[in-house]
Amino acid sequence: MRYALYLGCTIQSEQFGYEASVRETLPRLGIELEDMEGVSCCGFPALSSVSKVGWHYLSARNLAIAEDMGLAVLPLCNGCHLSFIETKHFLEKDPELKNIINMNLEKEGLNYRGDIRIVHLLEALHDEVGTQKISEKVVKPLEGIKLASHPGCHAIRPSDLQKVDDAENPQKLDDLIRALGAETFDYPEKIDCCGSQLAVTSGRVTLRIAGEKLQAVKSYGFDGLVTTCPFCFKMYDGRQRAIKGALKDASLDLPVFYYTQLLGLALGSDPKSLGLQMNQSPVGDLVERILEG
Amino acid sequence: MMDKPVIVIGGGVAGIQASLDLADRGLKVHLVEKSPSIGGVMAQLDKTFPTMDCSICILAPKMIECFRHPNITIHTLSQVKEVTGKEGNFDVKVLKEPRSVDESKCTGCGLCSEKCPTKVSDDWQKGLSERKAIYILFPQAVPLIANIDREHCLYFQKGICQVCSKVCPAGAIDYEQQPEEISLNVSSIIVATGFQELNPSELGEYGYGRYKDVITSMEFERLVCASGPTGGHLNRPSDGKHADRIAFVQCVGSRTHKKGYPYCSSVCCMYATKEAVLIKEHDPGSEVTIFYIDLKVFGQGFQQFVDRAKQHWGVEYVRGKPGEIRRNPLTKDLAIWYEDTMTGNVYEKEMDLVVLCTTMIARPGNRELAGVLGLKLDEWGFFKSKDPVRSPIETDVPGVFVCGCCHGPRDIPESVAEASATAACAAEVSRRCAS
Amino acid sequence: MSSDINEIEVRFISRMLTRLVGEMNATVCEQCGKCSSACPVSKEIEGFNPRQLIAKVALGKIDELLRGDAIWTCTACLKCKERCPEDISPYDVILILRNLAYRAGYSYPAGYDDFIKGVKESGFISKPQAVRIRDGGKISRGDLGLPEVSGPGDLALFKVVIQGIIKAGREI
Repeated sequence: MRYALYLGCTIQSEQFGYEASVRETLPRLGIELEDMEGVSCCGFPALSSVSKVGWHYLSARNLAIAEDMGLAVLPLCNGCHLSFIETKHFLEKDPELKNIINMNLEKEGLNYRGDIRIVHLLEALHDEVGTQKISEKVVKPLEGIKLASHPGCHAIRPSDLQKVDDAENPQKLDDLIRALGAETFDYPEKIDCCGSQLAVTSGRVTLRIAGEKLQAVKSYGFDGLVTTCPFCFKMYDGRQRAIKGALKDASLDLPVFYYTQLLGLALGSDPKSLGLQMNQSPVGDLVERILEG
Repeated sequence: MMDKPVIVIGGGVAGIQASLDLADRGLKVHLVEKSPSIGGVMAQLDKTFPTMDCSICILAPKMIECFRHPNITIHTLSQVKEVTGKEGNFDVKVLKEPRSVDESKCTGCGLCSEKCPTKVSDDWQKGLSERKAIYILFPQAVPLIANIDREHCLYFQKGICQVCSKVCPAGAIDYEQQPEEISLNVSSIIVATGFQELNPSELGEYGYGRYKDVITSMEFERLVCASGPTGGHLNRPSDGKHADRIAFVQCVGSRTHKKGYPYCSSVCCMYATKEAVLIKEHDPGSEVTIFYIDLKVFGQGFQQFVDRAKQHWGVEYVRGKPGEIRRNPLTKDLAIWYEDTMTGNVYEKEMDLVVLCTTMIARPGNRELAGVLGLKLDEWGFFKSKDPVRSPIETDVPGVFVCGCCHGPRDIPESVAEASATAACAAEVSRRCAS
Repeated sequence: MSSDINEIEVRFISRMLTRLVGEMNATVCEQCGKCSSACPVSKEIEGFNPRQLIAKVALGKIDELLRGDAIWTCTACLKCKERCPEDISPYDVILILRNLAYRAGYSYPAGYDDFIKGVKESGFISKPQAVRIRDGGKISRGDLGLPEVSGPGDLALFKVVIQGIIKAGREI
């Protein structure tokens, strides 16, 4: 399996711990990643709210580059993923828009055909590699560790446009967590939003939305939260201290991971290669526990 | 010259009514029913609206009358497979599945069921309890004769057991029974095959299938019925705890252009009210809330029924469909989020039981039967009548009539009225074509 | 047919809005309240109510919405879109209204200006930075052995095209 790896703004500029863990683990599972040249922002949420055409232009631009590479594209960020899916859908429905975008892409020597295959990380790992293969390669099982699955809104909704996982009862990330030997179970807030997009308007409310979910996760006895989206991660991990302040909950200390970080630990990778030093949430103890086996 | 018989396909309340009307007029009727007993959905209900009559209590006398009537022949476990001819002269082939029990010998004592070792999920009890591989469909079944489910019977699957034949005091077990083809010549055909309930698993936001305490209205009927799996005690399926806080969600799978059907299912507002009153009758201290968008209370006595539910029984009506149903993994309690659209406030409320008032949908068997009879189906699989206003119970095929829910959602009074109407039409055909 | 992105944009948005406000959509809303009771923001902010927003659209109160904060308060969780029985999706309506508000010159959160500036400068909303690590100190892409970021080859050309797209709304 070979994919054109699309990182997107947030991952490559600050959430590169995620990138590192992906580059470290996916090849071990037989996935080849090829870097894309000349890409740009996917347009979400930068342009989607102020210029819909501009947004679709930016996404189409990146999809065109992947098409030129002759590969399916693997966007690591949930937001980029949905952006690509929606762009593909709109351009298919609106040939006039597609034409205009192509006329402008032509200036850069690009052309968007519309036959690109867009694959989410969960699809690549769960459907194309498979949980069986992953669990066979685990050398440090995450035994006795309970992890909450947070697939993120833009990986599972809307179900009329994407089929990554069931919108009301997503289980793929759960299966992948179990493949590492860890435990997980359904909880009511599982498909709730991290609130990131609201941060542009009201930071305070966002912290409450995100914090209430973290508190709930903790109350069910989970040892940590797992996600595949840099926005969600940034909120739950990077802003956990601010969340604690906003909720006046000093004991809210919940380790937050990218799935591929835990995957790496289970496969026996060096924690430093997985960007774990960048997690702001208190992951240290859990990482040690996993390493000691 | 004798009038030719009439065939009635479907033994629910509509089929029963049509058969009785025709038989009382002196016409011979073949009542063909797919399941082991007549009765249909009405036999599974606890009470009927708006009178709060015990459903089986008002139905059973009619069922017995069908059985005893000299002019009615009941064919259970039977389906119409082929029809040729025309109005006044239809040749019908009916296929009767083997009961594996001699109908002339079985006394309905039930000993076979008692001793049968194989348990199967009981569809009639909506999966809330189990039955045996040899069973009588329900206590008031007509005919009250046992029936072997060959797909689960150890003898038919593995060639072992045969306990039922060893214990049967009447020697009625007959494993050698074969399917039987019956040829009938009739003057007209009445279709009364009824409906089925939508399975709301596809509407994932309600949690049906994942949360045991989210149930459908038919499951609720069995739960609250004295002949049901809990003897009529409102115990929630997950842990048997008594349900004190119950929510009814209207329009589940109906009035929608997404994942469901755009039509109104006609009876849900009324039966939700009925079920709410049932709960309050059992336990006045319970909290019952009906979440609706509009209240369809157009029938005779309906509005007064709802008013009484509100004022006398204290059933709460909230205009707003719940957007979220969640279950706490630790306590197993359900919580619903809803907006009271009258005030604009969003609330979260804990519930013990959530009843989804799911849409009536067409039975999948309609397709085959439509092919056999030359009838049209509408886009949702219901039989199409000739004209919804001018000829609501005639079809495009002269001599073939429809009544009850097989051509769209409607309640019992309407179905019964239509059944009598089709009987009148069929009688007219018989007289006209007698030569 | 003009290739002017701006003209297309206006027509595109108008088309979408007409479709959304027209017969099939906002007026089909039964005001059932599933969207508002599933919405995470409505639970936190009194006054943000997707159901009421759709009612306003159906009543033609577009300008009031364009001038207000409500349309910028959605967190794009898509629960309303997923659960609406009539496929109306308050989220899609909000996105169109945001685009309109921007073009009309009404106020919007300053964060979007930062995003756009970033995209014009480097092709991305932000440039790679040294990031704090948990135990103190900082780390950059190179420290993890990660390759350099690859942006638009001809940044000047890219900037011209993007500028052309956004120019009709605001000058940034």
